[in-house]
Amino acid sequence: MSIPNEKLTAQSKGDAPMARPPTKRASSVINWLPLAPFFLFATMFLFLPSISIFVGSFKDVDGGFTFDNIIALFTVRDFINAYRTSLTISAITALGGAVFGFLLAYAVVLGGLPKGLRTFMTTFSGVASNFAGVPLAFAFIATMGNNGLVTRWLESAFKFDIHAGGFTIYSITGLSIVYMYFQFPLMVLIMAPALDGLHREWSEACANLGGTSWHYWRYIAFPILIPSLLGTTILLFGNAFGAYATAYAFSGSFINLVPILIGAQMQGDVLFNPGLGNALALGMVFIMSISMIGYISLQRRAARWLQ
Amino acid sequence: MSSKKVSRRDFLKLGAAVTGASAYLAACGPQATEPAAAALPDLTSGNSIPLDELIAAAKTEGELTTIALPHDWANYGEMIETFKSKYGLKVNELDPNAGSADELAAIEANKDSKGPQAPDVVDVGVGHTANAMAKGLFAKYKVAGWDSIEMKDPDGYWWAEYYGALAFEVSKPAIENSPQDWEDLLKPEYKGKVAMAGDVLKSNQSVMTVYAAGLSRAGGDKTKAAEAGLQFWKEVNDAGNFIPVIADQGTIAQGETPIVMEWDYLALANRDSLAGNPETEIVVPKTGVIAGPYAGGISAYAPHPYAARLWWEFVMSDEGQNIYLKGYAHPIRFNDMAKRGVVPEELAAKLPPAEAYANAVFLSVEELQAATTYITENWRSVVFGE
Repeated sequence: MSIPNEKLTAQSKGDAPMARPPTKRASSVINWLPLAPFFLFATMFLFLPSISIFVGSFKDVDGGFTFDNIIALFTVRDFINAYRTSLTISAITALGGAVFGFLLAYAVVLGGLPKGLRTFMTTFSGVASNFAGVPLAFAFIATMGNNGLVTRWLESAFKFDIHAGGFTIYSITGLSIVYMYFQFPLMVLIMAPALDGLHREWSEACANLGGTSWHYWRYIAFPILIPSLLGTTILLFGNAFGAYATAYAFSGSFINLVPILIGAQMQGDVLFNPGLGNALALGMVFIMSISMIGYISLQRRAARWLQ
Repeated sequence: MSSKKVSRRDFLKLGAAVTGASAYLAACGPQATEPAAAALPDLTSGNSIPLDELIAAAKTEGELTTIALPHDWANYGEMIETFKSKYGLKVNELDPNAGSADELAAIEANKDSKGPQAPDVVDVGVGHTANAMAKGLFAKYKVAGWDSIEMKDPDGYWWAEYYGALAFEVSKPAIENSPQDWEDLLKPEYKGKVAMAGDVLKSNQSVMTVYAAGLSRAGGDKTKAAEAGLQFWKEVNDAGNFIPVIADQGTIAQGETPIVMEWDYLALANRDSLAGNPETEIVVPKTGVIAGPYAGGISAYAPHPYAARLWWEFVMSDEGQNIYLKGYAHPIRFNDMAKRGVVPEELAAKLPPAEAYANAVFLSVEELQAATTYITENWRSVVFGE
């Protein structure tokens, strides 16, 4: 009984390849062709620069080989502090962005709000998540700075001085608020499709089986969402970690961040040690690689659920 | 026929012979070149050449090659036009946006060329002169009125042509009483109002801002200025007066940075472009007046050595120096000219009073380098206490 069956399978398995190889081979080149521009760009703007950073990290000012730059990463207090501040600010804004962004996305997608609001929110998020750099810094300075519109209005309308308690926007807290402006719209953009992926039938099935809303979220929705939640959080982390123009335009080197230290080593007319700048960048590449590996593996799990 | 046609090999031989001959002549020194020197003024002594002889010699060259002179920087546009029409020379302007390092590289790259790519004269940041001297890129020359130039190489290889002094740019609607000296910046009324126009770790202007405050506090003692400057800014920061926003025209107009430390010529140009919205006042502090000079020089390989010298005689004359002043760059001979009363009234009226500049302090190249290293290395730990 089983023998003919096996033969049949073997035959049918064998048929297809014999018929197809020629077309497959021809199409495979064409299939890969559209990727060529991407690979070209990735090579020129990702791989080559990464190699250059790696090589440059071991060069001294005169171009000779040295380990000093790498050693400096672990010994110079300014550098250690910079990594600590950069990591702190990235972690805070990634978590904050994730929590608020998720709640916002939930409210818009599943919260039973008017439909037009969703279109509005996604459009706004698309714009806001790309609003960064000098314009963003200036926008915050002009609204919440010492002479900002909001600051002045609070003073004149409510006699409320936001600086009374020692708060200043030019601080880690202040910069975190600025970063949040592009962080949580990004979360909304990525989480909205994920929330769409929650099938209505699942909650109905849960209700039919006597489950409450808590059961639904605890055992069904949340486990499905957690990989994309965590994955996006890591993306937000990287987003904040690499931000340079915003922070520099906002408060120069007042807040000690790694990208700002790199900028000072590479392009100032005061300090100039590209090797050290490269080493600092190498440290960032290392940290980003770890977070990207985390992101990819979590994203893989998320994809499995969403099929 | 064949005598006219010189083969490539012969040509090279000829070249070698000429080079050898000129080397021989050079080795023989003044005696050998004496006959030629009768026709053209001597270049080797570095002494100022009488103007009529210089003009005649420059006219035979007919042209001057400049580099890195943007027309809107320190009024170089007017400087070049006036020079052209006054002496009837052509001016070949190489890359106006080149940096100091590029200018020196251009001299070096064209050592053996007398072509249109070889600059005759350069205008570089004073810090770059050390490099140029070490490589022997400059020829020495002392223009007329050499003694009244306040910053120069004693042998005449370079000299400052103009400078800026660090000044306070004060936005009037926000600040009623403008600070008059560095110590004033510590007053409680300026809480959250004092900004720099650059980052200390990135901009020379801001390093000098730290240094100038220290110089004021140390009573003019250059050796203590860097340390005292860091201490001063620590106090400004601790008092909450320092605002770390990098000030530019936008933040000044908006009012976030009502008191900004920057070079006076930038501040004065800002005042013009803001055109009274808001009204700004430019105050040169009473003490701790630091000058940021630029240095001029003549390429040792200049294709037009006489035109080059004529250019500097013109630029360093009262006329040329006043052209700088029109662009708000302070001519290096300003004090001397103010004393002799040759600064036009209407130009002087647009600037802070002349007395403010009388005590401007110039740093030597070594002092500049030492101060920069000390200030950048300790800025964060002293001022922010990290």
